[in-house]
Amino acid sequence: MSVLWATFRTALVEAWANRRSFWIQVSIMLANDVAWVIFWLLFFGRVGAIRGWDASRVLLLFAILTTIAGIAMGLLANARKIGELVGDGQIDAALALPVRPLPYLLVRRIDTALLGDLFFGPVLFVLAGAPTWERTLVYVAASLCGAAVLVGFLVFMGALTLFIGGRGEQADLGFQAILILASYPLDVFGGVTKVLLYTAVPAAFVTGLPTELVDDFEPATAAGLVAAAAFFVALGGAAFSLGLRRYSSGAVWTRA
Amino acid sequence: MAAIEARELTKSFTSGGRGRRRRTVEAVRNISFTVDAGERLAYIGPNGAGKSTSIKMLTGILHPTHGDARVLGYTPWSERKKLVRHIGTLFGQRSQLWFELTPRRSFTLLGAIYGLDGPLARRVDELADLLEAGDLFDVPVRNLSLGQRMRCELAATMLHSPRVIFLDEPTIGLDLVAKQRFRDMVVRLNEDEGTTIFLTSHDVSDIEQVAKRVIVINHGTIIYDDSVSRMRRSLLNTKLLEVRFEEEPGSIAVDGITVIKGRGVGYKLSVDTERHSIRAVLDDLLDRHRVADISVLDPPLEEIIGRIYEAPRT
Amino acid sequence: MNAYRSAFVAGAARALRAPGELTVRIAFYAIILVVFSALWSVAVDANGGSIEGYTFPAMLWYVAAAEGAVIATKPRMIEDIGYEIGSGGIAVEMLRPVSVVGFRMAAELGEALVRLAAAGVVGVVFAWAQVGAPPGGAGALVALPSAAIGVAVNLAAQHAFAGAAFWLDDAKASWFLYQKVIFLLGGMLLPLELFPDWLSDTARWLPFWAMAYIPARFVARGAEPGLLLVQTGWLVVSAAAASAVFRSGERRLQVVGG
Repeated sequence: MSVLWATFRTALVEAWANRRSFWIQVSIMLANDVAWVIFWLLFFGRVGAIRGWDASRVLLLFAILTTIAGIAMGLLANARKIGELVGDGQIDAALALPVRPLPYLLVRRIDTALLGDLFFGPVLFVLAGAPTWERTLVYVAASLCGAAVLVGFLVFMGALTLFIGGRGEQADLGFQAILILASYPLDVFGGVTKVLLYTAVPAAFVTGLPTELVDDFEPATAAGLVAAAAFFVALGGAAFSLGLRRYSSGAVWTRA
Repeated sequence: MAAIEARELTKSFTSGGRGRRRRTVEAVRNISFTVDAGERLAYIGPNGAGKSTSIKMLTGILHPTHGDARVLGYTPWSERKKLVRHIGTLFGQRSQLWFELTPRRSFTLLGAIYGLDGPLARRVDELADLLEAGDLFDVPVRNLSLGQRMRCELAATMLHSPRVIFLDEPTIGLDLVAKQRFRDMVVRLNEDEGTTIFLTSHDVSDIEQVAKRVIVINHGTIIYDDSVSRMRRSLLNTKLLEVRFEEEPGSIAVDGITVIKGRGVGYKLSVDTERHSIRAVLDDLLDRHRVADISVLDPPLEEIIGRIYEAPRT
Repeated sequence: MNAYRSAFVAGAARALRAPGELTVRIAFYAIILVVFSALWSVAVDANGGSIEGYTFPAMLWYVAAAEGAVIATKPRMIEDIGYEIGSGGIAVEMLRPVSVVGFRMAAELGEALVRLAAAGVVGVVFAWAQVGAPPGGAGALVALPSAAIGVAVNLAAQHAFAGAAFWLDDAKASWFLYQKVIFLLGGMLLPLELFPDWLSDTARWLPFWAMAYIPARFVARGAEPGLLLVQTGWLVVSAAAASAVFRSGERRLQVVGG
């Protein structure tokens, strides 16, 4: 555990090391986030509330989304790169160390640009999320769960590379899909799509449920979210472990 | 106890694709050898020969299809976590050091990973002396030249005092001077700390200057395993003559001599010493032509190895 | 002229030779269509069946066209161009007896048009299946060449924007920003009619609406020749800007060295 913490700290130091690059990337990310806020404001300004969603509710969703992105793609930047790392043989470097490969790989890299999201999310929540102590607590807990779902999902998609080869193209697609779908209010989607969002592409657990919980906390829903988080983390971990065994039996020929 | 033992190691891959396109490739077949502690071994072969597959099996990343191996008494693929504490790896194309940070900072993390906290500082100083790299450890890796970086990588590899280190193409991309320094460091490490060196390379000079023993692998099997000096001697059935004649010689009709190239008065000739005694050939040459200068040389190691590669599969 | 034509063909061939990449991109496009079709269906419904004159069919066709025109390009390319200019890698291309930027753009255009065609097929099928023929009627046919021009304008602007690499040095995430500008000011996310007046007026003075809004509008609301002129005008301007940026970059290389 302390090894993971030491690795994570080193990753932080590295992200901070190139100051100029750090600020440029964070600023661009912030500008990007602001652009989305503008879009939503324009949209609801013209369209008005739809299916119980208005500007402030969507901004709450967006605050949660960016916070989760900051964690899952910023702090644990390798989560979405597992496929690539496998395809390039870079996991061998992790296998050569006396560490557990998956956790080590996850904390090994921090994506500076996404730290902008990690900053933006909470700020947006404070500005547009009507923060009370209770809502803030739910926001933090739900974001952590949503991030866990996202990380688990991304690791799972990337771990498939250990079974089918390639460089993680399927993980890229899965990543794009879940990110897009998690960016929009759940309630606009119809039956079939909605089912998808609770299963194959669990966007509902990334932003849907967290947003709902902040506005209207129901213990049953919260339990569902926690269960989903545990499930996807376990799924990702299991896929990676099983995949590693397959990788070391050399059933899949990688570029390295 | 031998440092590394391989017994009939075999590895086949099923290449991707369905139905017809699926092929089974035997990357490595019945590889057997023993490496003693403190040895310096070069493991060479052309691309696709099975070098990386062999190393991956010895470092526990791949399971063999058949056969067995022991590294420091451990079975690599089933005891990898224990084994990696006692071996080091340096892959020429991949860095263990964090790019934006100083090597020292990477060492601190590696120290935590290997559990070296107490003795770490002393160890780093030791390596700084041994590798003449003290002034490099506090420069961000991004600002180091490749040669400087490789010396720091070597330090990272040695940090936890491994008993065996695997170096995979470590001198790729280095200029001549840097290569020389790197090789010197490797030899020094071996002599000072008794670390067993397992080096794979394409570069023949790596072999000549670092290794005492060479294993040649091609098409997945070992085709040569002996000391470097014996390799030169036993495979030597050619001598090269560099000759400067006093005047243009016209044709050189000396039995046993083949002209490799010649221009004006300078010639490069080869003699098949299996069929002709070098003495007789030299006598004959000096009889028929007026020679201003002559050198008798061994063919370069490259050529010897090239010939080994080209030997038909048995 | 021949060199540019062969670059164009080479670009197209490159796109066709990577069917995996193309599929991923089209799948991404399809997901966006699903999302936006759901979003606008609900939105238009809640507004009595039409927003600023856009019924749901019009809106769906609009989105399919606008998104299709944008997805045909790869703004990540800005990062690559920027890197090549900054590192001097572009010097190799300067040795050829053709305009560096012209050659590049011909190749990129070839690639992009293949993607546009693929997206076009998917988009047309998707929209038609849901709401029938495009409300733009016959005028919608103009959308095809218009989309191609829009893509060209986009590519030229990307090359011009890549010049920012000079000053930013680490332009890694800048393409992200470029993309967002097109999303908003280009009318990809929202038809310009939905903007407040001051914003839509501003957008009309910028090149971005030529990349997405104009072709999409043809599909949704029929042809308007004036807009085609606007697009062509922006194509000329952005091509000139790209040319200028590259020339400045080449001059810099000649002075400073690789």
